[in-house]
Amino acid sequence: MDKSERNWLFFLIALFVVVNAVTLSTLVPWQSWQLWQKVTPAKVVNIEYEDYIISMEAPVEIKKGEYVQFAATSTDVTYGFGVFRKDNSMVFQMQVLPGRTNTIIWMFDETGVYDVRSTEYSGPKHSGMVVRDAIEVK
Amino acid sequence: MAKLGWIEKWTLRFTVVALLFMLLSGLEGMLMRSQQYDINSLHGMETLLNNIRPVGSDISTENLYYAMLTAHPIVGIYGFVYMAIFGAFYFLVPYLVKKPVKHPKLVVANFWLQIIGVMVCWAAGFFGLFNALYTLYWPLPVAFDRVPLIGSIAFMLGAAIIMVNILIFSYNIFKTVLSKDHDGSYTVGQFLRAAFGIPRLMKLFGKEDKGAVNLDYNGMPVFIVAVARGSIDTVINAVVLLAAGVLILVYGVFALLGHPLNPGAVDALLYKNLYWWGLDMVADGNVLIYTAGVWYLLVPLLTGRKLFGANVVKTVIMVDLLVSMGVWSHHLLGDTSQPMWMRLFSGQLITWGEIFTMGLTLFATLMTIWKARPVKMSPPLQFTLGSMFGFVMGAMAGILQANVGLNVVLHNTQWVIGLHAHALLLTGVGTMLFSVIYTLVPMLTHLEFKFKKLVDWHFWLWMIGSVGMAMAMGMAGSKGMLRRTLYTGGEFTPYTLAAIIFGSILSIGFIIFVVNLVSTLGLKNVFSLVIPEKWQKSTEKV
Repeated sequence: MDKSERNWLFFLIALFVVVNAVTLSTLVPWQSWQLWQKVTPAKVVNIEYEDYIISMEAPVEIKKGEYVQFAATSTDVTYGFGVFRKDNSMVFQMQVLPGRTNTIIWMFDETGVYDVRSTEYSGPKHSGMVVRDAIEVK
Repeated sequence: MAKLGWIEKWTLRFTVVALLFMLLSGLEGMLMRSQQYDINSLHGMETLLNNIRPVGSDISTENLYYAMLTAHPIVGIYGFVYMAIFGAFYFLVPYLVKKPVKHPKLVVANFWLQIIGVMVCWAAGFFGLFNALYTLYWPLPVAFDRVPLIGSIAFMLGAAIIMVNILIFSYNIFKTVLSKDHDGSYTVGQFLRAAFGIPRLMKLFGKEDKGAVNLDYNGMPVFIVAVARGSIDTVINAVVLLAAGVLILVYGVFALLGHPLNPGAVDALLYKNLYWWGLDMVADGNVLIYTAGVWYLLVPLLTGRKLFGANVVKTVIMVDLLVSMGVWSHHLLGDTSQPMWMRLFSGQLITWGEIFTMGLTLFATLMTIWKARPVKMSPPLQFTLGSMFGFVMGAMAGILQANVGLNVVLHNTQWVIGLHAHALLLTGVGTMLFSVIYTLVPMLTHLEFKFKKLVDWHFWLWMIGSVGMAMAMGMAGSKGMLRRTLYTGGEFTPYTLAAIIFGSILSIGFIIFVVNLVSTLGLKNVFSLVIPEKWQKSTEKV
């Protein structure tokens, strides 16, 4: 292997190590509860999907800084569960597969009112699958 | 124009049809973008076209949008990319191994079957309103209250034709390389060992593969090894998608006969794993390795210098096969039902293997150009460099989203389809295919492109347009704009408008290219490519 190739390979290895180390660390805030510590959620929010309808107790009241588990089930096809700010930017999301309980834990660090939207295509009426003001973080 | 040989003529035919599919796919992309900007923008056209649709005139804009979104990648990938690759490889492989195509009739069959397959899929969307998207997430394609039954059956038949056709193409390419008609014949075992890189692996452990006389990568053109290696992925891709298509087809036929089967009999997560394992092979085999193979071929040819670090390149081809087998979970990072260890290793860490294989590929080709200085910046070299830029851009975006942390906010957004997929397919693969066309047309026809200025215009408009469009979509994605979602409330319009503007620039670049190509070949010659030879002879007699 040529010296320049070896140097380039070292650069790629360094890139691999640095980017993976940073993104797996708690510098990405949700990695702390997704990967590194087992947290007990203060609340479990159940969401059910059927025939293009998202059924959940809305608005869900959540305290800023507490862990909440969202548990979503579908009785027909695959959907998505996504939480969005009022400016349409995404907070987090997961896929909702039928026949399984799909769970994700989150800790909100900002107060405010959030919308829930299906993030996976489920048929032509998918665009309308939005629950406005579904979550209120205090 | 020089009198074309049989295979040269077919190569140009594949190219012409590939460009027509590119035009259709691009038009669909622009139409969908205009609907994203203003959902009512196509109402007039929709009303007009609904008159020729057998499913009735009461069709929602959403129905039409998602049907178009389903057809768009099929036309773009299996129409444009595959047709162009079929044409190029049917010329280049026999040329490099110095053997004729083993089964010429299969070349003709490939040409027509691909057109038929793609058009059946397209018609399943256009007329049958099939809308389950290319992802075909179980059980959506068999949820016949959401997806039209006839459209679903038609789409699966079209997809099956395409997949069988890809298997026929791979068979013909393998048979050509393995043909014993001329010198340098290989057995199937020897060839597969070379494609899997066994001789090189043995060499690493200080052993010699005695059965691989003149068959180690040292003896075989790197391009051929890349084609063989990429074809393994392509074959796996075709087999898995064919199996999924047959499964959906069976459900469709039973539903048609009034005996619907239970969709719950198939586990959605297991299906998704198997489907993505096969589907992602198209990215590794076709997009990455075929492209790398073309760079390995073109760069030494264009610079007049031997490929830099050829031994490393050969090892890279081998390693990438192992990588490609294990990366599919990056499509399931949003599935919390998928075990975390699979998401972490397959979805993130193994996927990072591609940064090594593609990184070393780019380094080898760029160093070849650097060491060959001064080089003449010919159109093919210009486009080859452009395609490398596209790959760097698309790969960096891809590697960021293939991450268990960052995917939480990037999954299923416009980032994925814009900055990753469109950058790879348009700026990467599209630009690479243009470099092939700019190389092959003078080679086949002995004609230089007529308007040199237009080549520059094509290059810069294509690059600015494709990069700008991908950036606009990527920025929208980073702000939360979803892919596979038609926004009806005017959300994200500034980004969509930017994507429309850059998409228009890209389209102008493409039209300039077509004008230059047709002017170079001559309109009469272009028509002679698409008119059957029998008709041409009868016309000549008259």
